[in-house]
Amino acid sequence: MSATASQSDSSYLLRKLHSLTGVLPVGAFLAEHFWSNSAALVNAPKYDEVSRDLQTIPFRPIVEWAIIFLPMLYHAVYGVYIWLRGKSNISSYPWVGNWLYVAQRYTGLIAFAYIGWHLYTERWLTHGRSTYATVASDLQNPWYLAFFVIGILASSFHLGVGIWNFLCKWGLAATAKAQQAAGRLGIVIGVAFGVAGILIVLSFRLNWHPFASYYIPK
Amino acid sequence: MAETKKVLIKIKRQAGPQEPSRWEEFSLNWRPSMNVIICLRDIAENPVTSSGKKTTPITYDSNCLEEICGSCAMLINDKARMACSALVDHLDQPIRIEPLTKFPLVRDLSVDRQFMFDSLKRVKAWIPIDGSYDLGEGPRVSPQVQAKGYPLSSCITCGNCLEVCPQVNEHNQFVGAAIISQVRLFNIHPTGAMNKRERLEALMGPGGVQECANAQNCVKACPKNIPLTESIAEVNRDAWKQALLGWLLG
Ligand code: HEM
Ligand code: FES
Repeated sequence: MSATASQSDSSYLLRKLHSLTGVLPVGAFLAEHFWSNSAALVNAPKYDEVSRDLQTIPFRPIVEWAIIFLPMLYHAVYGVYIWLRGKSNISSYPWVGNWLYVAQRYTGLIAFAYIGWHLYTERWLTHGRSTYATVASDLQNPWYLAFFVIGILASSFHLGVGIWNFLCKWGLAATAKAQQAAGRLGIVIGVAFGVAGILIVLSFRLNWHPFASYYIPK
Repeated sequence: MAETKKVLIKIKRQAGPQEPSRWEEFSLNWRPSMNVIICLRDIAENPVTSSGKKTTPITYDSNCLEEICGSCAMLINDKARMACSALVDHLDQPIRIEPLTKFPLVRDLSVDRQFMFDSLKRVKAWIPIDGSYDLGEGPRVSPQVQAKGYPLSSCITCGNCLEVCPQVNEHNQFVGAAIISQVRLFNIHPTGAMNKRERLEALMGPGGVQECANAQNCVKACPKNIPLTESIAEVNRDAWKQALLGWLLG
């Protein structure tokens, strides 16, 4: 501590930006992504209509880079930097918050590895023109299926814990009571994302469309 | 007469910061209400290890013996605690005693907490009441502010909250929960509030309040039950408001 490498004066801003990007836009994009993909629960044509709408938005590369790729890259890279400057101690202090601190780092890394691969297989290889058919055929591969499930659970957990962290760390939940409530909110969000994500994967894998009757052909 | 009950205690010893460390074990006569400081005193009276080897008394810090001076923090069975309130009857034996790891070692169990005192200076953890002229009476402190400030004022700067924090380490200059909580204490005081901005700005520099990663170990380790996580949240909120609104609105 006394003999430390000096840290830059911009560390406050960079750290706050990391925290903020986790929720906005990265967390918000995760919500949008699960929402759009839940169209699979209706049927394949509905899914393809939603994908087409997203694939044909104006300024698509700018929107993708500014709202998704760059913030996520920043959050991930700075997240690893934060990780390296912490020193976990769960063996001496096996408390819940301390476990979450460690899990937040590993789930972030898993999420990032998954997202990188997911982008490669579902965006790069399909030239940004994925359809229900391409995703469904990928998910017939058991390894793909397993990685999807792991990636979804890691991202959902990371977001749930992250929301709790965010509310505490910006002082939006300041009292002990409010922080407990924020923790419960984080659990609800994490579980909701995890369940929704798994249902969407099952929909592709099993060709299962529980809301097929909602469909109105164009 | 029945054989006297024994207390087995192992202590990590080190003659100085650059010296090698070693463990010594002692077997002491049990007494009622014995705490870890009493063990260390008994060793000083008769510095002989359990294997009968003569050794030197153990260097450690203590003063008040009632958990109020903050000097006796050490690792007791792997946990940061106050030695004067660590009762032998509540500890698994052999009791393992080590110095805190986040502060420079002086000798044996004695460490140098200067980092905390320097941090307190850095954030101006005081209320300026002296001027070159009579400043007159200060504003009244409302009972609500008194009630909020009292638990914060009980901080003993023992360093346990820094010891247990994963964000306090050799790669990170994080000032730690105690210092942030003191900023809250002096910022809520109506006279102290006159320097609120300076304190917040000091905490937005390297190692400032942003380094907290919400593991929340501090509040569990605090011997005085100070609501440290509330303090961090509140100071964090004041800090970003200062950063954002200070720039936008002056
Ligand atoms: C390589 C990928 C990632 C890494 C290494 C990573 C790392 C981290 C770390 C270390 C924290 C804790 C920050 C702190 O304690 O101050 C964190 C917080 C957070 N992360 Fe990530 N993350 C990654 C990806 C993601 C993704 C994909 C999401 C979106 C679901 C996300 C959302 C969040 C949120 C919401 C927070 C809370 C912000 C806060 O603590 O104030 N992260 N991340
Ligand atoms: S001797 Fe003062 S706190 Fe333990």
